Amino acid sequence: MSASVKQWLQRLWGGAGLASDPAADVRPPTIGRNLREQVLRPVRPGFIWTTLIVAFLMNLLPWGRAIWVPDFFAVTLVFWNVHQPRKVGMGIAFVFGLMMDVHNGALFGEHALAYTLLSYGAITLHRRIQWFPLSSQAIYVFALLLVAQLASGAVRLWVGGASPGWWVGLLSSALGAAIWPVLHSVLLAPQRRPAKRDDTRPL
Amino acid sequence: MEYGPPPLFNQGVSARARLAFFSVAAAILIVIDAQVNALDTIRNGVEILLYPFQRALLWPRDLAEDFGGYLSTVSDLNEENARLRKAAVEQAQRAQLAGALEQENEQLRKLVGLRERVEPHSQIVTALYESRDPFSHKIVIDHGSKDGIRAGGPVIDEAGVVGQVTRVFPMTAEVTLLTDKEQSLPVQIARNGLRAVAFGGSEPMTLELRFLPSNADVQSGDTVVTSGLDGLYPTDMPVATVTRIDRDVKDQFARVILRPVAGMSKSRLLLVLLANPPPLSPAAGAHENAAGNARGDRAGAKAARR
Repeated sequence: MSASVKQWLQRLWGGAGLASDPAADVRPPTIGRNLREQVLRPVRPGFIWTTLIVAFLMNLLPWGRAIWVPDFFAVTLVFWNVHQPRKVGMGIAFVFGLMMDVHNGALFGEHALAYTLLSYGAITLHRRIQWFPLSSQAIYVFALLLVAQLASGAVRLWVGGASPGWWVGLLSSALGAAIWPVLHSVLLAPQRRPAKRDDTRPL
Repeated sequence: MEYGPPPLFNQGVSARARLAFFSVAAAILIVIDAQVNALDTIRNGVEILLYPFQRALLWPRDLAEDFGGYLSTVSDLNEENARLRKAAVEQAQRAQLAGALEQENEQLRKLVGLRERVEPHSQIVTALYESRDPFSHKIVIDHGSKDGIRAGGPVIDEAGVVGQVTRVFPMTAEVTLLTDKEQSLPVQIARNGLRAVAFGGSEPMTLELRFLPSNADVQSGDTVVTSGLDGLYPTDMPVATVTRIDRDVKDQFARVILRPVAGMSKSRLLLVLLANPPPLSPAAGAHENAAGNARGDRAGAKAARR
């Protein structure tokens, strides 16, 4: 991955420019002054999987009926869908949703459907969301989470279950959106690291 | 933003096709799970996979609780000790009385030629965690099918009925609390033996009696106990107390709100009754069918309504 990025950068700036300036090779070039547009290092698939699993385990913690706990897995899923839509797709959302159903004793497929819709929404909007500042991104995330909550509620109504009141879904989605900026900085940190300067390099 | 070579042609299956595929798959699973219990093997498999993680993640909470217990002062413990001692004495007296009554009852039953009542076996279990699903009131206990727990078993705590085992995994089991909206239980009012069916209430942590005529003899403060008509719950177990009665003249039925006497999700130690009490007479065969069924309470509820 890293090699292909370098190749592509070389193609973008022209091979001569990079070869004549060794500093450009070791430091990630930034386009413009905005941090948002900093060129990130490629993500490691291991890191994606680790964060997804950690977020899932955080959902498994015995929170009980506490309503002030956001759905950590849903927000992490949205993050990776937005930033790596080709690596994290609806299949992963579906499988984790099924596991969530078993843990919660919910209908088999309820969370799977909600996470699939969430994932689709995030993948569809991923190019748009990244151009906004974090606070506006959080509003998008809120809307996505709310749609997923509504889907889950609709399933319940369809099968004939009870509805817990609309404000539960609203609150849960708002909490999810509130942790978005924190999650954004934590999950993107490994990709923001500066490249290692290699002093022993001859050029 | 990460810049990578954009895939021009090899995009794979389109996002919409994937959405359609997974949504339909989820919908099919939901329908199958809602109608029949055909997915229990998959569910069991996933549960076995998740079980070690679930247990490991309970550890921080238990540690915090242990630490809290360590900090409880000597005076608290002394107070609790005194209270328990008093309770033990009171209960010893009651137990002696119960023993004498039991003997007498046995003799009388032998005299009349009735079958001796078999005491149900029970299993002490610990509640592991409460389901996070806001749509249902369920707790998960630390014993499962390997300990002989079966779906349909009544679950009680020291005060009264808590709920019913609704799904069994090898290591764990799910208990649906009485306050769940889909849970029902045939009951009677202890004061006058008026039979009714208690359902999970629309307000949190309440039950309600449905199908009682608006002039029914119910008073605020009445104790509601199990009627045992379902052949599943033992008779005369405390369930709830009546807190409010709305008698609307326009409405055919009274709206009776109950507060459960059991601790519900607060109590950590619970008792699952394993063997169903035998039906009172062979004529009550219908109840036997209900006892074997996980949704036996529904059948019992219908019987109670008749």
